[in-house]
Amino acid sequence: MMRAFNAAMIVVMLAPIVLVVWMSFTPEAFFRVPLDSFSLRWYREALSYPDFVNAFVLSAKLAALAALMATALSFLAAYGLVRYRLVGRGFLLGFFTSPLVVPAVVFGIAMLQFVNRIGLYNDLVGLLFAHVVVVTPYAIRTLHATLQAVPEEMEWAAMVLGATRLRMLSRVTVPLAARGIVTAFLFCFLLSFSEVTMTIFMAGPALQTLPVRIYNYLTDRIDPTVAAVSSLVVLVSLCLVLLANLAGAFKRLPR
Amino acid sequence: MTAEAAPRARSRMERAGWLFVLPLALVLATGYVWPLFQAGVNSFHPNTPQGIDLGHWTAANYAKLLDPLYQSILERTLRISLIVSAITAVLAYPVAFFIVRLKPKVQPWLILVYVSPWLVNTVVKSFGWSLLLRSNGVINTTLQHLGLIDAPLHLMLNETGVIIALVPGHFMFVLLPLWAAASGLDPNLKWAAGTLGAPPWQIFLRVTLPLTLPSLIAGLVINFTMNMTAFAAPAILGGVRARTVSFLAFQVNLEQLNWPLGGAIAVGLLAFTLAVVWGGQRLAFLAVRSGRTRP
Repeated sequence: MMRAFNAAMIVVMLAPIVLVVWMSFTPEAFFRVPLDSFSLRWYREALSYPDFVNAFVLSAKLAALAALMATALSFLAAYGLVRYRLVGRGFLLGFFTSPLVVPAVVFGIAMLQFVNRIGLYNDLVGLLFAHVVVVTPYAIRTLHATLQAVPEEMEWAAMVLGATRLRMLSRVTVPLAARGIVTAFLFCFLLSFSEVTMTIFMAGPALQTLPVRIYNYLTDRIDPTVAAVSSLVVLVSLCLVLLANLAGAFKRLPR
Repeated sequence: MTAEAAPRARSRMERAGWLFVLPLALVLATGYVWPLFQAGVNSFHPNTPQGIDLGHWTAANYAKLLDPLYQSILERTLRISLIVSAITAVLAYPVAFFIVRLKPKVQPWLILVYVSPWLVNTVVKSFGWSLLLRSNGVINTTLQHLGLIDAPLHLMLNETGVIIALVPGHFMFVLLPLWAAASGLDPNLKWAAGTLGAPPWQIFLRVTLPLTLPSLIAGLVINFTMNMTAFAAPAILGGVRARTVSFLAFQVNLEQLNWPLGGAIAVGLLAFTLAVVWGGQRLAFLAVRSGRTRP
């Protein structure tokens, strides 16, 4: 009975996602279950719609930059927190993870008003910083845990053998923490890539990321093009999740 | 090393440490603290057709939040969020205990399945739900085909649709802590209660529930705040008829362009969220203590 219940729950969890992917292969102009035949018509349609293609490129670029920045900054900060006895270490760690508690709606409103005030509305830099803030807590948690597990003795050994601190970091610490760094990067990329709420509030008309573009398209009309685009988004997310799982992310999920 | 050299060396060490921490601290200070602070400041200024009137201060925006229309939207949001959290709590227990009994190698994969809805963006998920819940969607056509209903059920563009979409969407926030708590439970406890003659429901109420309650509360707090501030699911599946606070915030900020009022909504939501988190932590702390002192 427990097995059946669990199976039913999994169906509920995955049903909407599976349905979207399934429907994206319809040859018709409407949604009907089951499909009589498969067609890539709506994928061709989606790929010839420049708004979606541009949005995809923007989302990928934004996610890569945000993940890179968040991972790099968080690595340095986590290193500082783990290796040095800073006054207020606990406070700093709490501060770095605190964006987690701030609802995306609230932060979106704040960013909208902020970027307008400083003249960065409709500017990629503003959106990039907002995404970095949103994904940083995940990077910090993962890297803080990772660096705590890196033995300090290895670093001492490198220093004793004459390595500079920079050389020691790049040749000893980073390789030892590689797994955590990769996990953090993938998570940040994934979260930035699928971030909707905050971006809808603050992004200007020139910065419609893919999820925002899909949302705006949906409020206008519903046809299988949007199913095809959504399936591509799911595919990207799925690949990243599987990669993260291979890197061991779900044995210790950052939460 | 002499007695006075040690502290000096340590403070030098500390200064080097700050160099590592500073870049991220600066980015968060400008891109996070300042914007929130700015929205708070804006919320205390009057709105004019030319924009925010920074010359005058007022609390009128907060007074406006008490408007009956806004209050009813807040009530609906609270109702939806509470129902979703309650359903999640009831469903997450059997799932967590099912997963714990599986082989350790299988567990992360199953967890991954339950986490995956949260990793797919909410617009895509809500779109999928709309295909299922529409009046000519999969569920209604199937039920009609089987002759179970005559007219389609109203499953979306109302609160039902929002609830159906939010439960799986935020399920993992309760499941993960429960899973962790369930894996840490000593199986001997249940066995002991069983040999003392306790029926299964009593084992659950007197042993399992008290021991997992702190984790449940911790998960529910996150789940509840996520429900309160969800945007895409209410917007796509609730529509104008089931407007929630976040949808109202969208209209005020981006359609009416009333930023002072929008700022007040943001401050209100943030204060509410922090209060729930703080209250939840207190509650979890009390649950831990009462769990320990229980005879």
